[in-house]
Amino acid sequence: MNIVNSYRLMIRNVRVNTDPGTLVFLVLMPTIYLVFMGYMFGTLISQIPVGSTSINYKEFLSPGIAAFETATAGIVAGGLLWSDRRYGMFEQILSSPYTRAEYLFGILLTTLVFGFIGSGIMMLVSEAFLDYTAVSLMGVGLIVVSISLGSLFFGCMFLAIAAKVKSNQAYNSLTILIIFLVDFASTVFYPITSATPEALKVLFYVNPLTYIADVVRAGYISTVTTTDLVELLVTFIETMVMVAIAVLLYRKVRVGVT
Amino acid sequence: MLSEVLGLTSYPIEVEDLKYTYDGRKYAVDGISFSVREGEVFGMLGRNGAGKTTTIRILSTLLKRSSGSVKVLGMDPSTAGNHIRKRIGVVLQDESFDFTTVEKAFDVYGFIWGVSKSERDKKRESLLSTFELTDVRKKRMWDLSGGQKRRVQVAREFMHDMDLLFLDEPTSGLDPIARRNILNMIKDLTKDGLSVLFTTHNLEEADYLCQRVAIMNNGKILASDTIDALKTGYNGLKTVEVKIGGDQTGAESMFSKVSSGRVEPPFERELPYRIVTENTQETMQEIIKLALADSVQIEWLNVRAVSLEDVFISTIAGGV
Ligand SMILES: Nc1ncnc2c1ncn2[C@@H]1O[C@H](COP(=O)(O)OP(=O)(O)O)[C@@H](O)[C@H]1O
Ligand SMILES: [Mg+2]
Repeated sequence: MNIVNSYRLMIRNVRVNTDPGTLVFLVLMPTIYLVFMGYMFGTLISQIPVGSTSINYKEFLSPGIAAFETATAGIVAGGLLWSDRRYGMFEQILSSPYTRAEYLFGILLTTLVFGFIGSGIMMLVSEAFLDYTAVSLMGVGLIVVSISLGSLFFGCMFLAIAAKVKSNQAYNSLTILIIFLVDFASTVFYPITSATPEALKVLFYVNPLTYIADVVRAGYISTVTTTDLVELLVTFIETMVMVAIAVLLYRKVRVGVT
Repeated sequence: MLSEVLGLTSYPIEVEDLKYTYDGRKYAVDGISFSVREGEVFGMLGRNGAGKTTTIRILSTLLKRSSGSVKVLGMDPSTAGNHIRKRIGVVLQDESFDFTTVEKAFDVYGFIWGVSKSERDKKRESLLSTFELTDVRKKRMWDLSGGQKRRVQVAREFMHDMDLLFLDEPTSGLDPIARRNILNMIKDLTKDGLSVLFTTHNLEEADYLCQRVAIMNNGKILASDTIDALKTGYNGLKTVEVKIGGDQTGAESMFSKVSSGRVEPPFERELPYRIVTENTQETMQEIIKLALADSVQIEWLNVRAVSLEDVFISTIAGGV
């Protein structure tokens, strides 16, 4: 296992993915969410309590969308295994000077890169219409850690799906279903309140995007509570479990099976 | 020759009693042995499902063999995969491409192989022109025709240096001119010492390109030799081809009565029956007589020397 090889594959992955389709997915779509929801709901919703303070809806949504980008990054990066298998590049790369582990690591690096690029762009975009940000050094640390964990979690999740699902239709419908569920059953767009139905709450609390959104938000406003640290720990554990699942399923992927 | 006497000949590929099974029940490769010499183009001939691709997957380290011994560039693919992969090139049978433009596909592929930027630019330009892809260089891979895609896939492999090249049906889907260009390019490269394992079911190609061939069927090698030596076994024999016109129903029973030579029925309806025979006069007379008696309509009849294709078909027919 040579990390330089994985780095090289990561560059390849990014280069073959810098097409307009990916950019729309990674930048334009979340920007639309940010602008439309930010302005439209921003006028309807007043202050939202977060930790010990309260913030307006635009301030609530912006870090949420930054967190949301980890799931988008995961789809793009994890999906590479699917398209590389489908279009023969998986076999081609494995008959070039690369090991399976290096290929896998290349995808994990790619999900991190897309996660940071995507959320970074969203943070910049939201700067344009936020009245107030007070990110501290500690806040930056929290944001970096949670974006990393989120990107890894979702990269591995979609990699695991790509390792299992072969047909185009099944893969596409499954990823769309999951991405909707993950994005909406989370605190990206709205907080969990006492009025949230119990059944939905379960879904929210299983979903790591809830924790990632909460922690990024806490980092944004630099009000870190112990709840945030617990959430970070849960995200860490969920990510490790997902990495393990992805590695197990990836090891079962055979070449020459179409 | 001298090096052979001294035992210095190196074999880029040595395979001994190689077996592989995908499902644990049926052997896709069933105990084959062969070797490829340095600087030669070795052809593997066989119908679909013969086991050619599986063999290439094992030699190129993609699959681990079930049993037997294998040496690629003197190393064992199941333990030295990494070292082997650095020195081989593989053109897979199935398409493989990135979602980029043609020129970017070349560049990214060279990048994967660690080729420097200036070297990549140089190689890309020369390959684009050699493989006549200059007109489509800005096009996206998925907008290309099947033949153009195939040409990119083969050409791309030459972005990097190698000692051994695997070509799995590289000419499938190509027009005759592109086909000939690729064959000539491979011929040129082997002059510089590149060894090639080449699979095809096009016999003319093998005849044109390969020094030695192995004929494979059902996972086994039925015959392996130089093309000339394979044809020698058929010295003095001729092939009579008979194309049946119109309704083909009576043809099978009619040909079963031929006694003056060995009959090979066609793989496809459009092709002629072939009779390999020592006495062409006798065979032709016999066939015309039988055709009249059975009211089978002969569209045309032709006599020619035995070709590699005849050897191939007879070998396979004899092998099942
Ligand atoms: N991935 C696979 N899983 C199971 N069986 C396979 C697979 N690939 C090939 N086979 C079987 O192995 C045999 C040899 O196939 P292959 O090596 O592709 O032959 P060829 O390349 O000569 O057409 C065939 O019977 C084929 O059906
Ligand atoms: Mg094949």
